[in-house]
Order: sequence, then C-alpha cells, then structure tokens
Amino acid sequence: MTRKHRLVHRLAWPALALLIGLGITMALVLRPPPEPPKTAETHR
Amino acid sequence: MSVGFKAVQWNRDKIVYDVILVAGVALYIGVFAVIGWRWHPPKNLPDVIDIWIRAFGTAAFLMLTVILSIGPLARLDRRFLKLLYNRRHFGVLTFLVALTHVWLMLAWFDAQGLLHTLPADFTTWGDYGKFIGFPFKALGLAALLILFLMAATSHDFWLGFLKPPVWKALHMALYAAYALVVMHVALGIMQYERTPLIPLMLIGSFAAVSALHLIAAWRERARDQASTPISDGWLAVGPPDAIPDKGACIVTAPGGERIAVFRDGREIGALTNLCAHQNGPLGEGRIIDGCVTCPWHGYQYRLSDGCAPAPFTEKLATYRVRLNNGVVEIDPRPLPPGTPASITVAHVGA
Ligand code: HEM
Ligand code: FES
Repeated sequence: MTRKHRLVHRLAWPALALLIGLGITMALVLRPPPEPPKTAETHR
Repeated sequence: MSVGFKAVQWNRDKIVYDVILVAGVALYIGVFAVIGWRWHPPKNLPDVIDIWIRAFGTAAFLMLTVILSIGPLARLDRRFLKLLYNRRHFGVLTFLVALTHVWLMLAWFDAQGLLHTLPADFTTWGDYGKFIGFPFKALGLAALLILFLMAATSHDFWLGFLKPPVWKALHMALYAAYALVVMHVALGIMQYERTPLIPLMLIGSFAAVSALHLIAAWRERARDQASTPISDGWLAVGPPDAIPDKGACIVTAPGGERIAVFRDGREIGALTNLCAHQNGPLGEGRIIDGCVTCPWHGYQYRLSDGCAPAPFTEKLATYRVRLNNGVVEIDPRPLPPGTPASITVAHVGA
C-alpha cells in the first residue's frame, strides 16, 4: 500500500465499521416483534 | 519471518488452489441444502428453490468475509499468504455464487407466476425513505454490481491499464459491497425470519473482519513508530547481521514511505517496499534464486538495481546504502527506478 492509500484506508475503515455496526444494531432493535399466530405466507 | 517460505509456483499451485476453493464452496452449499431440507422439509417447488437461494446467499456472504480477512491474516501469519496470492479467483467465484443466488431468486418468483411483481420492489420510491422496510433487494443489487466490476477488472490487463494505485483504490469498493450485503440481510431476511442464526452470522462475520483489521493496524503502527532517523538524514538499520540473510528489514522513512532493506549474503540493497505488481509488501518476501521475490504473487527483482530479470521489464525505486561504523544506513530519498545501489560488505557478523 502506498502512503496516501494507507492514510485513506486508516480513516475510512473505522467509519465504515461504525456504520455497519450501527446498521446491524438498529435493524435488530427496530425489528418488528414476531407475529404470535401463524398467518399467511411470509412476504418478501 | 518463518522458514519454509516458498515462491509462487505458477500453474500447479493455482490449479490446486482453485480445486480446493471450488470443492469447499460446493461442500458448504451441499451441506447447507441437506440440513435445510431436513430442518424444514420443502412442501413445493418454491420451498425447494428457497433452500438454494439461502445456501448460495450465505455462501457468497461468507466468501466475502473471508476475502476481506485474507489481507490482515496474511500480515499476522505468513501461512495465510497462500490464500492471498490467488485472491482474485476467490473474488470471481464469489461473484458467480452471488449471481446464482440472484438467478435462483428470479426462479422463485417465476415458479409462482410473480415475476411481474418484482420491478415494483425496486421502484416503490417511498420505501427508500424507510429504515425497516428499505428495499433490501436494491442493496443486494448494488453489492452485486460492485462484485461484477471487481470480477470484470480483476485481470492483469486492467491492472496494467489502471495502474496499481487506481486499481487498488477500486478494489477498496469491496468493503462497500460488504456493508451493502450486511444491510441486505439485516433489513431483508432478518426482519421476517426469527432464527438467531442470521444475526449470529452477521455479527460473527463483522466482528471477525473488524478484529483482524484492528490487530493488523495496531501491529503496523508499532512498526512505523520503531524506525530511527539519524545524522544527516540517513536512517540506521543496524549491523549487517541484524538483517536476516535472504530476508529484509523494513524501515519507515520520515514521510511514512516504507523501504525494504534486503541482505543476500554480503550484498545489501534497499528497494521500495511496494511491489510493482499490486503494491504487495516486498519486504515481507525473501530472496529466491538470487532475486527479491514478492510474497503476494512471486514477482521478482534484482537486489542490485531493482530491475525484474529479463524478459520482464518492471523496475523499482532503489535507495542508497552505506556502512557507517559497522551500521547499515539508508538514504531515504528514492533513486530513479532501476538505479544500481546495493553495496557489498566485507564480512557479516563477528
Ligand atoms: C440483485 C441482487 C440481489 C437480490 C435481488 C437478492 C435477493 C434476496 C432475497 C429475496 C433474499 C431472501 C431469500 C429468502 O427469503 O429465503 C435474499 C437473502 C440473502 N441474500 Fe440476496 N439478493 C441479491 C444479492 C445478494 C448478494 C450480492 C449477496 C452476497 C454477496 C446476497 C446475500 C444474501 C444472503 C446472505 C441472504 C440471506 C440468506 C438466508 O440466510 O436466508 N444477496 N437475497
Ligand atoms: S503484488 Fe503481486 S507479485 Fe507483488
């Protein structure tokens, strides 16, 4: 890796990691509760 | 630096690598399908296709995880270099597995006569403003496009055309693809399937990739801070026997550029640490058959002047070397690529 490339990498990846971590967490927290009765086909 | 380093033997190793790779992926997908089948026996054709969608989707995701882990792993333990040197085929296969996942998804819709409803999943613009309910298929599509771009430009023709720095920057998009796939799963299947396996897969993969990058970054930082500039701007490397025979010490110039100082018996030479091929870490390589050999894909350079032996034409920047009171010193200002600059010391060691 060149120096410039390394610098960009060093700054960019913690930001991206934070973003992904936040994304997974929010998607888990905000996930709707499971429907108790088994209803229609799963939608996609 | 471990013993037993072996240069990349071009064809046979590559074939062995590819065979193991394809067999491993096929095994994973097969085992996944068998377990899926037992767990939720399919009742109809769409159910059958669904198992394969998941088998190929998770395979592609895990492969992407491995690809992003190979770089830091190879820095932490040289045995992983074997994985690295043919990472390109790994990438192309990941694209093909992901493509099959998408093709199966089309078959799933088609089997139910629902293919015509698919475009609406991408064009319900209001959904793009949501978090839960975001069109997760669009995230998958964006990731697939990046994987396609990587696979299409992976050939050395493009490497030569784009030059290593641009080509490497382009390949950093793989991290974006990874982020997109994580969210494709987190906002897609994780929202309507309650199995803890999905969050487990996402969090496990993400934790592994992050931890490996953190450890590798921490190690590099320690190394960068270790070098000591001395009198009139030259860098002290140490006595000749501090450089492993047929190996190198890597020193960092004040500007942050790395220099690989190799020793081949009594000959000592300094080259840029950046391989001309894909900017691999040359100083982590060895001298094989009289040539400095890159640990990534085996490109070779003469120690004396940084030129690749004929018929190859690559040239690396060299650095001036001197012996000062028994200490090897390097002038951190690079010489034009291909300039002879190595020295021969009278004797090595006590
Ligand atoms: C046009 C692009 C894509 C579309 C339309 C798409 C569509 C889908 C759909 C509909 C599902 C849900 C499957 C189900 O309900 O069983 C799914 C799941 C998944 N997709 Fe994709 N996908 C795309 C690209 C990708 C790519 C590029 C990857 C990985 C590299 C990927 C990885 C996954 C994974 C890991 C799952 C979860 C499988 C599971 O455990 O159930 N997808 N995708
Ligand atoms: S980076 Fe490919 S041989 Fe050095």
